[in-house]
Amino acid sequence: MEYKIALAGNPNCGKTTMFNDLTGSSQYVGNWPGVTVEKKEGKLKANKQAIIQDLPGIYSLSPYTLEEVVSRNYLVTQHPDAMINIVDASNLERNLYLTTQLLEIGVPMVIALNMMDLVRKNGDKIDVAKLSQALGCQIIETSALKGEGSAEVAKAALTLAQRKSLAPKPLSFDPKLEETLAMIQKQIAGNCDPNNLRWFAIKLFERDEKAMEQLNLSAAVLDQIEALRQEAEREFDDDAESIITHERYQAISRILKTCYQKQQTKQRLTTSDKIDKIVTNRILALPIFALVMFVVYYLSISTVGTMMTDWVNDVLFTEIIPPAVEGWLTAANTAPWLQSLVLDGIIAGVGAVLGFLPQMMVLFLLLALLEDCGYMARIAFIMDRVFRRFGLSGKSFIPMLVGLGCGVPAVQASRTIENDRDRKMTIMTTTFIPCSAKLPIIGLISGALFHGSGWVATSAYFVGIAAIIVSGIILKKTKLFAGDPAPFVMELPAYHIPSVKGVLIHMWDRSKAFVRKAGTIIFLSSALIWFLSNFNFSLQMVETPDSILASIGRVIAPIFAPLGWGHWEAAVGSFAGLVAKENLVSVMAILYGFAEVAENGDEMWSVFAQNFTMISAYSFLVFNLLCAPCFAAIGAIRREMGSGKWTWIAIGYQCLFAYVVSLIIYQIGNLLLGGTFGLGTVVGIILLAAMVYLMVRPNPEERTRKLKVAKTAA
Amino acid sequence: MPLTFASVGQTAVIQRITGKDDVRQHLAELGFVAGEKVTIISSNGGNLILNIKGSRIALDASMAQRVML
Repeated sequence: MEYKIALAGNPNCGKTTMFNDLTGSSQYVGNWPGVTVEKKEGKLKANKQAIIQDLPGIYSLSPYTLEEVVSRNYLVTQHPDAMINIVDASNLERNLYLTTQLLEIGVPMVIALNMMDLVRKNGDKIDVAKLSQALGCQIIETSALKGEGSAEVAKAALTLAQRKSLAPKPLSFDPKLEETLAMIQKQIAGNCDPNNLRWFAIKLFERDEKAMEQLNLSAAVLDQIEALRQEAEREFDDDAESIITHERYQAISRILKTCYQKQQTKQRLTTSDKIDKIVTNRILALPIFALVMFVVYYLSISTVGTMMTDWVNDVLFTEIIPPAVEGWLTAANTAPWLQSLVLDGIIAGVGAVLGFLPQMMVLFLLLALLEDCGYMARIAFIMDRVFRRFGLSGKSFIPMLVGLGCGVPAVQASRTIENDRDRKMTIMTTTFIPCSAKLPIIGLISGALFHGSGWVATSAYFVGIAAIIVSGIILKKTKLFAGDPAPFVMELPAYHIPSVKGVLIHMWDRSKAFVRKAGTIIFLSSALIWFLSNFNFSLQMVETPDSILASIGRVIAPIFAPLGWGHWEAAVGSFAGLVAKENLVSVMAILYGFAEVAENGDEMWSVFAQNFTMISAYSFLVFNLLCAPCFAAIGAIRREMGSGKWTWIAIGYQCLFAYVVSLIIYQIGNLLLGGTFGLGTVVGIILLAAMVYLMVRPNPEERTRKLKVAKTAA
Repeated sequence: MPLTFASVGQTAVIQRITGKDDVRQHLAELGFVAGEKVTIISSNGGNLILNIKGSRIALDASMAQRVML
């Protein structure tokens, strides 16, 4: 017999910490609301009969955010055998709001009164026995952080489940409201599980559409309920939802009056408030933020991370592994083709990718530190004002920061954005930020044609940011993304000193996404590219210029002629970039006849320079920065979009945008610098004009809405 | 007056919240209800950090405008 026990509570109340404690697993615990989006399961350490389910943190059971929908569906329809409601005792009133709703869903419940140590430290007093009596369920004091009390809570919940105990009695509201609810209950009694009767009565009173769908009520019953609601709304002079909210807060304050004494703090600011006064200050916020970002970038991409990456590339995957493997293969007398597949295909391919790992780990470590201490939530707050202007939310900024390292965890990081449109737009645009795998491409272009100027790299980041801004403005005016930007409402966690374990788990979670990519997709596609570039259509082993890959390249190359690089080597390079962006350099090196080149391909700079002009090289760079990301990131986009259609929209938009921008750069660049004018120039100018028009045109959706308003007014 | 006009450090009582939609409901669930005390901790171009019912909530200017003191 297995018992399911659900963990429910507000965001950031210590749920995941308790889950880890109870199940012995190591899920990431964030100091950022909304860390758990999917529910997670684990067996109780002390008794394997119990399955603990960690639900996303929620403020209520009304379906405002994705998390709330997930938790509510699970609790109401799946009916766990028991439930642990974790309540942050240091923020009692707000946390009990959810408790009042949990009491109604008919699941046996025990309350874990968490962060009691903090309450004692503040000098507040909670009479737990009285509170337990008032709420009608057992309360156990805990401190999840120190692991105190968790075991008892789990044991209490398991006992409730085993004895099939009754669910607690819901709190009662104003007598008049109770009368109305009782009448609704009578109407729907036959249509739902008796355990859920009160829950559904309240939801129907609130006109909750999801609950109405679930019950399948007849039109006559719905009309009766509607009449009851209207009567109550008149009586209370408020709308139904507000009546219930008000009653819940009333019930809570009645209870707390008898059992809670808050130490008067004389409005003294807490340490967190003092830090916020400086960090989110109107004048200082942006400079502080810029400084923090500079340090993060400097440490991860410019210095420490790069030193470690260089070691992996130049020592580990050049001097240590390949000679060793070559030795084994020769000793085992393997065929030359197999040796070539393993050494030139797989080890070279996977090695190139793993080379980025140290850089990325340093970046993710620093981001985890920022997130864990609480600053990341403030970044969302600070950047919201800026991002709102082009239709994104401040929460979109975090995926973009992660995107400096790798697009895969970046796309995953978009999960915490509640608004569906904002999240989709963030997923579509976040890979415009040059990830570390694109740095070798930048190095190649800068070295071969711009005398290694640092401006090429700097401009690449600006191109990425500009692409996000322009896309935001353009997309927001299309039908797909129209609508008001979602309001920014977010609970800011208190600042605290990050725990070593938490930061490491978090860093590893993100890096893992990247390593997995190296182990699977890159592994297979390295083998595939090796095959395509070493065989011809009659499956004979040939030199690369005669291979299948070259044939494909010759077919697709003319597409890129208007961008200034219609030769097949460049087309094949871009194609190989889909596998992994850094592949572009090594594949082009092979095509130009170099066996082995450094990461930025400096051996082939002179040949490269013969095939490109400065303008066509820059157009080539921009195309490869902006077009569809590598297969691994496309896979992540597919997972997060949850629909094939949206994945194609995202990829299609990215490729089209990249093509148009590169064409404009090449054609107009040539006109300005070389004075060449032709059909291409005309197309370039038209496209540029079209793009500017799409950005500045009045919002068509806005116009129809205004018309509607005008009509109703008339 | 709307919350956006209050100065940093000020504590005031919420009179009402305008508008009727799911956002107002969400605000209510976070503690923004009539009669509740709210303290302004920080302001950044109209976006506010507030203390309400013992927790710290960030609101953008358009939201803050709907909370009347």
